[in-house]
Amino acid sequence: MESVSDTSWDVVICGTGLQQSLLALALSRSGKKILHVDPNHFYGGAEAAFSLQDAESWANEVSAKDAGLFRSASVARHESAAGLSSRSYSLAMAPTLIHARSALLSQLVSSRAYRQVEFLAVGSFFIFRLPQDSAQQPALIRIPSTREDVFAATTISSKAKRGLMKFLKFVLDYQNPPQLELWQSHAEAPLTEFLQQEFKMDAELQTYIVTLTLSLNGKITTRDGLAVIRRHLSSMGVYGPGFAAIYPKWGGLSEVAQVSCRAAAVGGAVYMLGAGVQAVETAGDEVKLELSSGDTVKTRILVRADDNPSEQTGISRLVAVVGSPLTSMFEVVVEGASRPAVAVVAFPAGSLSTPAGKASEYPVYLSVHSSDTGECPVGQNVLYLTTLSTPDSRQLLEEALEAFVGTAGEGQPAQILIQIRYEQLAGSGSFQPEGPVITFPSPSFSLSFDDSVLEPVQQAWKRIMGDAAAESDYMSFADREGAMDDDDVYE
Amino acid sequence: MALSGDTVPSLKILLIGPSGAGKSALLTRYCDDEFEPETASATIGIDFKTKNLSVRGKPYRLTLFDTAGQERFRTLSTSFYRGAHGVIVVYDISSRASFLTLDKWFEEAEANTADGVALYLVGSKLDKAEHGRQVSTEEGRALAEAHGAGFCEASAKTRENVRRPFVELVDRIVQTPSLLAAARSGRAPGTVAMDEGGDGYFSGCSC
Repeated sequence: MESVSDTSWDVVICGTGLQQSLLALALSRSGKKILHVDPNHFYGGAEAAFSLQDAESWANEVSAKDAGLFRSASVARHESAAGLSSRSYSLAMAPTLIHARSALLSQLVSSRAYRQVEFLAVGSFFIFRLPQDSAQQPALIRIPSTREDVFAATTISSKAKRGLMKFLKFVLDYQNPPQLELWQSHAEAPLTEFLQQEFKMDAELQTYIVTLTLSLNGKITTRDGLAVIRRHLSSMGVYGPGFAAIYPKWGGLSEVAQVSCRAAAVGGAVYMLGAGVQAVETAGDEVKLELSSGDTVKTRILVRADDNPSEQTGISRLVAVVGSPLTSMFEVVVEGASRPAVAVVAFPAGSLSTPAGKASEYPVYLSVHSSDTGECPVGQNVLYLTTLSTPDSRQLLEEALEAFVGTAGEGQPAQILIQIRYEQLAGSGSFQPEGPVITFPSPSFSLSFDDSVLEPVQQAWKRIMGDAAAESDYMSFADREGAMDDDDVYE
Repeated sequence: MALSGDTVPSLKILLIGPSGAGKSALLTRYCDDEFEPETASATIGIDFKTKNLSVRGKPYRLTLFDTAGQERFRTLSTSFYRGAHGVIVVYDISSRASFLTLDKWFEEAEANTADGVALYLVGSKLDKAEHGRQVSTEEGRALAEAHGAGFCEASAKTRENVRRPFVELVDRIVQTPSLLAAARSGRAPGTVAMDEGGDGYFSGCSC
């Protein structure tokens, strides 16, 4: 077998995060010589999924390094969690849901990679509502998102229902006249303003709509907001009744990354983990790389991802495992639908406050994953909480977690068994497709898969393929397995 | 008679072990009854092979996964191991070095699969027994027993014992109720059918 140093590689891909792995998948039938390395000892980069032990070693590594995109990582186990089996967890670093209309799904289907991934339905979206007066309890209100749903909803006045119906109808055709004229003058203004002015929606209905966008700052523009709502509504029912989005079992995008890498390996790509690119030297048409494994390799093109943090933006995350089945979060709301495995809860801006009395500036989103996701044992749930980083964000995530377990627990608050906390920063660079070194942007923070993540991958593929690239061939493969079935009998 | 894939329980079986142990040769001989002595290069292009096997009067559909070269630097992913009913660990009886890596392979298989997964150890290249053997049958059997695995030696070249690992492994699986419970035909309950999706489900949108 040729050593990695002796081979003249067409492309070396560094990192096995989603974008790099999708690039490997895209190149898997190209015949190019591909070396795919990752400085981590696990697949998935910022989209990895961890067992408990993996999470603990990762947190230690992050704390020791104080560089890269992750900061302040810690894992805490409750004393009652001492005996938990590490391997029965697959905790997602990026628990991203995927809308049925996402181009990612069409690419996974056309490339046949979807056959190795199991997808689960994402169910209801809820709002955490503070009590209006002291006699009330805080409550989780389910957001109606289809016409039938709106009719059936008991939590909305009939006047509000009419407004909501009018809006749903508008969104489905919002890119055509005369709807176009209604929103274009508001395009760059916050969606909430538009909803208030053109649809006379009250603050609560505005919150419903903004929650469906999963906007991290809650201030999504009318242009972006309408596009996301339209995608949500048109995704409804595509893969079955009652749901708009799906989630890959066993840890979300991590699974997509691993399956993509496997597909590339089947096509001949060579994989090395625990081997990062330490030094890059460009000479003429060739890039010389020094790997942390000690190997020196030569390649025509190097693809890597931006991991130089910017000080500007970041998210705070809290992952909590709770010892309660929380069945009320996963009710089947449409006849004939199967039970969803994921529910989303939004704590709108202002609905939480720090112990010092400071109100939350941004929404907090909490994704509830049942044991059907394979991410935790039966009878438990994984809660993924995300909000934009602020000096108070970590505190606010704690508050949201506490409020949720107090409200959603069946009779008594759910026991919190494990908590993982970390900060994730945005990169400082932008996509750089020119020259021998292609740099992907840092991972997206979007809680529902953002199709713009796919564009740099396709551009990189085009660069590497050169004249041989035909857009129509992109990610379009036939099944590989030998369809010939032989029968064998053993009595 | 070809069996329909829709009604027959499917069993996921992995072949793992060090590079050059002869995993692909064993797989290709068993599934296609082919042997190419000169293909000593790393495996390219085989994702998995399927084979219908009847054991004790009941048909099963085996999906047999090769390592796709990811054994070379030990980079098999957790998703590769997921849902496996049985794992066949292969070494080369004519290579001591190959045998010495096996503890790590067993460890990896046990760590990434469900408790009680059926294991089987195969000493391959039995045709070299007379002139090139570096691992004795007893050593192989002892290691297999230490891991609760089945054992045999086989040759893809001469066909000797080629069916045996597969048949005995499946026999083990079907006698383990917890493993068999996980065997199913078609999609897992509660998962979404991607190939049935697209525009057809509802015409347009439900709202």
